[in-house]
Amino acid sequence: MNIALKIGASALALSFAAGMAAAQDDSFWKEAGAQFEGVTLRGVTEATPPSNYVKDVLAPQFEELTGIRVDIETTSWDQMYDKAIKDMEAGTGIYDMVYIEQDIVYAYLARDFLTDITGTLTEKPELKSPAFEESMLTSFAEFFRDEDDHLYGMPVEAFIKPYLYRTDLFSDPEIMAAFKEQTGRDLAPAKTHEEYTEIADFFTQWGKDHDLDLWGTTAQAHTGHAASWYEYFESVAPTFGVYNWGIDPENNYAATVENGGQMNSPEAKEALKWWLHLRDIAPPESVQSTWTEVATTFAAGRAAQGLVYGENAAWIASDENQSRVVGNVGVALPPLSEGVLEDAESGEGYLGYYDGGAFGVPVTSKNKEAALLFLQYIAQDELQADWALAGSRITNNATYDDPKVQALNEELGGYFDMLRDQGDLFGGAPAYPFHAQVREATAPIFYSILTGDIGPDEGLDQMAAKAEEELTSLGYRQ
Amino acid sequence: MHSKTLGWALLAPTLILLFFFGVVPFIYVLFVSFHQWNPFAVNPDMIFNWAENYRRVVFDAQFLASLGVTIAFVFFAVVSELIIGYALAQAFMRDFPGKAFFRTIHTLPLIMAPIIVGSIWKLMTTPSIGILPNILDDWFGYNLNIGQSALQAFTVTVIMDIWHWTPLVTLSLIAALVSLPPDPFEQAQIDGANKRQIFWHITLPMIRPAIIATVFIRLMDALRTVDEVLMLTGGGPGSATRYVGVHIFKEVFPRTNYGYGSAISVVVLYLTIVACWLLYVSLIAPRNTRKG
Repeated sequence: MNIALKIGASALALSFAAGMAAAQDDSFWKEAGAQFEGVTLRGVTEATPPSNYVKDVLAPQFEELTGIRVDIETTSWDQMYDKAIKDMEAGTGIYDMVYIEQDIVYAYLARDFLTDITGTLTEKPELKSPAFEESMLTSFAEFFRDEDDHLYGMPVEAFIKPYLYRTDLFSDPEIMAAFKEQTGRDLAPAKTHEEYTEIADFFTQWGKDHDLDLWGTTAQAHTGHAASWYEYFESVAPTFGVYNWGIDPENNYAATVENGGQMNSPEAKEALKWWLHLRDIAPPESVQSTWTEVATTFAAGRAAQGLVYGENAAWIASDENQSRVVGNVGVALPPLSEGVLEDAESGEGYLGYYDGGAFGVPVTSKNKEAALLFLQYIAQDELQADWALAGSRITNNATYDDPKVQALNEELGGYFDMLRDQGDLFGGAPAYPFHAQVREATAPIFYSILTGDIGPDEGLDQMAAKAEEELTSLGYRQ
Repeated sequence: MHSKTLGWALLAPTLILLFFFGVVPFIYVLFVSFHQWNPFAVNPDMIFNWAENYRRVVFDAQFLASLGVTIAFVFFAVVSELIIGYALAQAFMRDFPGKAFFRTIHTLPLIMAPIIVGSIWKLMTTPSIGILPNILDDWFGYNLNIGQSALQAFTVTVIMDIWHWTPLVTLSLIAALVSLPPDPFEQAQIDGANKRQIFWHITLPMIRPAIIATVFIRLMDALRTVDEVLMLTGGGPGSATRYVGVHIFKEVFPRTNYGYGSAISVVVLYLTIVACWLLYVSLIAPRNTRKG
């Protein structure tokens, strides 16, 4: 009885303390927001599940608390960049927040497009929420810091591109027996490229033989969209030991082997041929697939395995309205060449892509202070769990321990565990300010390789030369 | 004098708008086209480089290839739209059950934004989920995959353009046909002219101004096609549908090559004017000269 009384009293005290804390938090937002009443913040971002959650859930919550209206414009990836860059370049100040994908932040920093979050909150402590500390954020936030360790973007999504496979197929006794008979080994997620190809070939043939809409792998191989370029350079080539697109910034930005680069190295050529074979045995829509279509292909149950962006992992694994493979998704590290794992562990290389984005405040914004309030609001620990469920993204350390997130982690086959424990083995885009420029200069040649107009060896030679030509034209390569 | 002043006063708002939204941007593009300007270069400033961008355009294999596929696209799209549009206009001149309904349905594509048209056709042509690849495969055993076949991608973009813009041609030609006086047709029938002769010697010459005006509009529109194609194929496979509009978009926006992209835009504008002038000289000027 005494113990029960103590437990009851403790619970009452805890709930009272929690209520007080919530009231204090609310009072900060109300007081801080009062000075900006009537302000409307405008943001532009890519239409992804995490961004849609900001638009549909977090922005209305913030408006209710502070009276600051937040209009988030979600659009396509291309349009998002187009609008944000034009606004910041022209200095029109239309947007108060722009989505900064991890690979563009270096270009934005080089042009001084972004507001220094750390510096501004230090200079104006009245804007700083008591609930916000930069140390709350995961290591992904490091991608959005400058040389002085100042933060320029508040992470909103972060994900790796893991190897997803169908657990139901990989554990089907009939399939396992047939695979063993054909290959002499047990069916298990591939660790090497040879094993991956063997599994892909097997399942594509299995689909044909059994008249199923099933293929052995996905392929993000659009013949006119940058998605294919990215799959090769950021997800496939690194697993063969070709890092940073094969460009060596320490060596005058060399791309060709003859100048010290790796873009047309034997490893790069081997990687491309491996991937082109997979493209040939992937579902027919692969040649029109960007990252979105790859996810839908996997969710439709049309592929046995594939490299799929983690931002889609949650809905693929758990949303029965959108996915036919709910409960049947396993996660593993991508297949690797010898030595790549060691490179990643030592920090000299990486296994695949660690992507995501942050919201930054353009220096041209007319409502910087109000925008910084909003960024701190969405960074609060207590908002993260539901956001993680909606968009399979984690940007705060505490989110991993939330029971709801742990439950989803089980459904995802341990994806969040991999993000936390092995995320460091994956790498973001190289710190190049000429990201889109080199990509667009070389992409037409890459598309010609995909259509077969140019062979992979010759094509990579041309791409490496073109990359150097572009870098020379931009003034990076002397 | 008074009426002349009033006339200018009434025109002034339009002229001012035209100046700021038409002339000023054009002059700016012209100005930029003589500069090397990429904001993500080591030197992000505009650097005057004389006519270097124009020299580059002439030798740019990618641009020339893009121009080639654009000319083919414009030819097939505009000619098809003219033929189908005329046939539909003639059909809608007659009475048949449900005419008003069909005429409304036929006009619907016109009110759609090009980006939506591109999305619809992408959904219809994507293997596995698209209705067209499924029907063609089930009925004819034909494999439609516009991500793989350059010819198929090109053909589908032409068909998409025809689907989107033929109603404009139909409406223009209906307006022209409705306004024709009945007398010449009655006289020709009395003189024993057959349908083909009436078409060639009476209908076609009388609606020629409407046809030419429509062709001008469609020609200019087709030359700057971007949204639909970008959404449907992204300019691929390879460069098969990288029409000049798409080429300029990719050069100017993702690649932020503002100077060179502006030079291409000016060249394309010049070529459009030349094409329209040639059309005018070959179809309208001789007729006016004969009249004079």
